[in-house]
Amino acid sequence: MASSRDIPPPVRPGPEVEVIPLGRVSATAVAVAAAHLQALLGLNALVLPPRPDPAHCHSPTRGQYDAGLILRELSDQPNPGPLRLGIIGHDLCLSFLTFVFGEAQLGGRAAVVSLHRLWKLEDGSPAPRAQVLERLAKVSLHETAHLLGLAHCRDGGCLMRFSGGLADLDRLGLQFCPACQRQLTLARQRLRADPDRVPAAPGPGPA
Amino acid sequence: MNSRLRVLLVDDELAMRESLAAWLRQDGHQVTKAPGGLEALAEMEHQEFDLALVDIKMPGMDGLELLRRIKDERPDTLVVIITAYGSIESSVEAMKAGASDYLLKPFDPEHLMLLLEKMARQRDMLRENSALRQRLSEGECASYAGLVGQSPAMQAVFDQIEDAAAAMAPVLITGETGTGKEMVARAIHGQGPRAFAPFVTINCGAVTETLLESELFGHERGAFTGAVKARRGRLEMADGGTLFLDEVGEISQKMQVALLRVLEEKRFQRVGGNQYLTSDFRLISATHRDLTELIRQGRFRQDFFYRINVLTIVIPPLRERGEDILPLAEHFLAYFAAQTGKPKPGLDPRAQRALLAYPWPGNVRELRNVIERAVIVSQGSTVGLDKLTFLAPTPEAEPASLTLAEVELAHIRRVLATQGGSVGLAAEVLGIDRSTLSRKIKKAGLRKT
Repeated sequence: MASSRDIPPPVRPGPEVEVIPLGRVSATAVAVAAAHLQALLGLNALVLPPRPDPAHCHSPTRGQYDAGLILRELSDQPNPGPLRLGIIGHDLCLSFLTFVFGEAQLGGRAAVVSLHRLWKLEDGSPAPRAQVLERLAKVSLHETAHLLGLAHCRDGGCLMRFSGGLADLDRLGLQFCPACQRQLTLARQRLRADPDRVPAAPGPGPA
Repeated sequence: MNSRLRVLLVDDELAMRESLAAWLRQDGHQVTKAPGGLEALAEMEHQEFDLALVDIKMPGMDGLELLRRIKDERPDTLVVIITAYGSIESSVEAMKAGASDYLLKPFDPEHLMLLLEKMARQRDMLRENSALRQRLSEGECASYAGLVGQSPAMQAVFDQIEDAAAAMAPVLITGETGTGKEMVARAIHGQGPRAFAPFVTINCGAVTETLLESELFGHERGAFTGAVKARRGRLEMADGGTLFLDEVGEISQKMQVALLRVLEEKRFQRVGGNQYLTSDFRLISATHRDLTELIRQGRFRQDFFYRINVLTIVIPPLRERGEDILPLAEHFLAYFAAQTGKPKPGLDPRAQRALLAYPWPGNVRELRNVIERAVIVSQGSTVGLDKLTFLAPTPEAEPASLTLAEVELAHIRRVLATQGGSVGLAAEVLGIDRSTLSRKIKKAGLRKT
């Protein structure tokens, strides 16, 4: 007869996206980003302790951090695991672009977003804190949705619409269009159907 | 406007190629990478590209040389030169050689986005021009070419075409052979928002299943014996436009499953390929078969039928809309007279009566052939009855001096023609039993067709 020791403990769902501060980043800002991933993408988000500033990804000639190098580090994990969203305070660039608000591997494991350009209004004056946090939420949602396989959307009100500047970003609402929402639903189902992708956290052991 | 582009990215620097390709894919474009000019030209042998992004400084063939080669061999492919070493001279040289734009790295993300949108608009304009040139060379109006009709039945079809053109749902067109199903499909395409995008057609009954698969999905190099290079399929070619599946009732069950998957998932692979491709096409299908009967017989899948049959247009046979016969005949007389360089002839009264009395088993296609032949052989300004060659004689072809037996025989011939030579069906139409009809046929020496 089976004893309670033979029955595996109940499994609670583990994190589906890890939110990782890279260097000095406001804890409130990180928490806001994680909460929006939870609420609007329906992903279990876990905020990890900050990692050291990725100074080796800094480009002296550009005076910015290379988003591509940061993504390579974030996605370097031995086993399939949760998605990873890095949040950094420095300005980000790609070799061919003057700057990016964030960058992600389409259908991949890692994304990174920057707070650097979100602090200011178009005229250069400081933006209200609430607006900064909302901008961070939008960029975090956009880049994480790229990880779920969504490409840019041409719908004017959709979070997947490309934002070339702060004015574009501020015009976006905190929602996805119906077509992108459908894709997100399917992507979440695929994510949860693949046990390798989402490692389960063990429940409490036998008493 | 379909803003997705097929992009060829040419840069000798791996990191640059990978990161820019990733960024373009995020924006929904289909990207092929090449590390140099020769590799780029090799890729262009296998597929068409809307846009080539070319780094100017590359070992071997540099960007300007590649630009010239692309403009020679694929003039419709837009080229944007990218460089980190800007100079007025090189930019002027690039534009003179046919570049659409010239970008200096690093560029502003909004600038890049606007450039891609501009390239998509230029691509669409090139397609429109190409479609217009083709239509001019065909010499026919795009929207209702050949769809002449003043009968209530055809007026209803025209209304349905307008409704279908405005919608994007799949359309199934049914009707006997020769009723103009492809013309209706082209009219739907020509009146819709994709009028200047490709109209890609394939006759599913004209090819084997294996060939149909390759024609539709395309294939990669080496996918099968004889596949010496990769080839785009009709699904890819129809991207942004319309795919017309003619004789869809002839498709095997296996192909129906494959197509159903494409229609549901919006993606597919080439034969022998492992990369998923997408194509945004509007589907129009046509058949002369009764698909509900084929479903009942287990030869056509119900789920596939429901997927292709959101809108239905039934084209009535010509014999059921007699008021369209003479207008169609006049239309074809004008068309073929122009083609042959003759003045447009008229129809004498006996010819008109014969056209009206004939049952037209081959429908509009047969009428077109009859008129074409008549225009070619006619010398004067009028087409007489003697210049009309039908599949079976009409009552107007027989003078009033015929005996009853001769009239009966002519009628038997006509009915047999309309029933495809079936004695059983002809007997039903004539209201006599089969054995009686067989005896009359044998006595008259008529050969059963």
